[in-house]
Amino acid sequence: MFSIIRFFTLVSAVFFASASSSMAAEGHDHLPASAEVLFEAGWFKFTNSTLMMLIVAVFLIVVAQLATRKITLVPSKLQNFVEWILESLINFLSGVLGESLAKRTFWFFGTLFIMILFSNWMGLIPGVGTIGFFNVTPDGDPYPGDTFTPLLRGANADLNMTSAMAVAFAILWFYWAVTETSVKDFFAHIFAPKGKFEGVMLVGMIVIFLFVGLIEVASIAFRPVALMFRLYGNVYAGENMLESIMNMVPLDYVKWLAALPFYFLELLVGLIQALVFTLLCAVFLRLICEHEHDDEHAH
Amino acid sequence: MTVSAFILASTEAAVEAADQSPVEKIVDKFGLHWSLFISQLVAFLIVCFLLKKFAYGPVMEMLEQRKHRIEDGETKLIEIEKQLEESEAQKAALLEKANADAKRMITEAKDSATAFGEQKAQEAVAQAQTILNKAQEAARAERAAMAAELKQEFGRLVVATTSQVAGKELNAADQKRINDEAVSSLN
Repeated sequence: MFSIIRFFTLVSAVFFASASSSMAAEGHDHLPASAEVLFEAGWFKFTNSTLMMLIVAVFLIVVAQLATRKITLVPSKLQNFVEWILESLINFLSGVLGESLAKRTFWFFGTLFIMILFSNWMGLIPGVGTIGFFNVTPDGDPYPGDTFTPLLRGANADLNMTSAMAVAFAILWFYWAVTETSVKDFFAHIFAPKGKFEGVMLVGMIVIFLFVGLIEVASIAFRPVALMFRLYGNVYAGENMLESIMNMVPLDYVKWLAALPFYFLELLVGLIQALVFTLLCAVFLRLICEHEHDDEHAH
Repeated sequence: MTVSAFILASTEAAVEAADQSPVEKIVDKFGLHWSLFISQLVAFLIVCFLLKKFAYGPVMEMLEQRKHRIEDGETKLIEIEKQLEESEAQKAALLEKANADAKRMITEAKDSATAFGEQKAQEAVAQAQTILNKAQEAARAERAAMAAELKQEFGRLVVATTSQVAGKELNAADQKRINDEAVSSLN
């Protein structure tokens, strides 16, 4: 049903920034919880957040390519900036994971942080959420309900994106945990009693730690869920807040002024959420690998 | 589609939603869809791969290279500083030795010059004395010769005078006697 209605959608207007937001507000009283489909072909759907994610990805790849195309020992300005970001990140991650593990997993954690950060910040650029088109029925009437579909939506304001990153981490977490330790150590870390026990005490502890292990498994299983909803919730709430505040102002051309202070807040939130997601993932990995390392030190 | 049709569709959707499990409601509410999830996942992993290829790899390699260069530079700097200290010490020792040698040589040269000067002065004095003695001896010899010549002349003059006064030719024995008497009267 939804796809049929979309089929009859007509692009009726494209507006920038505050001007468009005022018009968008007429048929777009709230930001929908899910990303809106721009087009679909069979099972394949393409949403406005996917488009945003691709723009961010292309931007990052182009910047990376420009910075490293003529890489030199004495860096250019862009190369210096990219080196500064990456070196700061690897140092930050080395502090959590240790140098060896940080280098091994940097391709993932580095991309995770950069991708989340730039997705969050680029979602604040005027036009994101306000440039789009109005949907009308085949009869030419305004589409009932939410009639405005923005072309772009913050990439992390889509649970598909945050869940993709969280699930990717969960799989890689298991792989890295097993390869950094061993399958036996991995399960021993979760289920085996900690400390030295003998006799009846040992049996009791095995039962207790088995139970604790089950709780730990549940905790591990919920980690990606928590990660994806935390990031999604913060970014979606931020965008919703900005849109609501702008809609509260009756004068079209000063709507942006009311939201301006909150843009700075959202810049900060964007950075913090990128840090929180990356840091939590790194800490989860560290926790599972720590056991083996501690044992090695003890030996 | 009219508004009433939309309301009907919404009502049907609401009835369907009431039959959904909590997970299905969440999935539906937040628009979770496996095709979107897979496409986002693949896109994210492609970005990971491309950033690793274009950014992390070259930049990390460059950082590592720079780190090694700085480490090498630091090591070389320490070596150079050490060498500089050693060469400074060597230079100071050489200068000290050269100063000492120079002082010694100057002292030796002074002593040698003084001794040489004294020697030469003594030689000059001795030579002068020799010359003086020779001159004195020559003067004495010359005076003696002149005296002898004078005596002979005086004797000849006395003989000649005597011959004139006597008015006769004196023989050789008389001349000799008169000459000897005249010379002996001079002594």
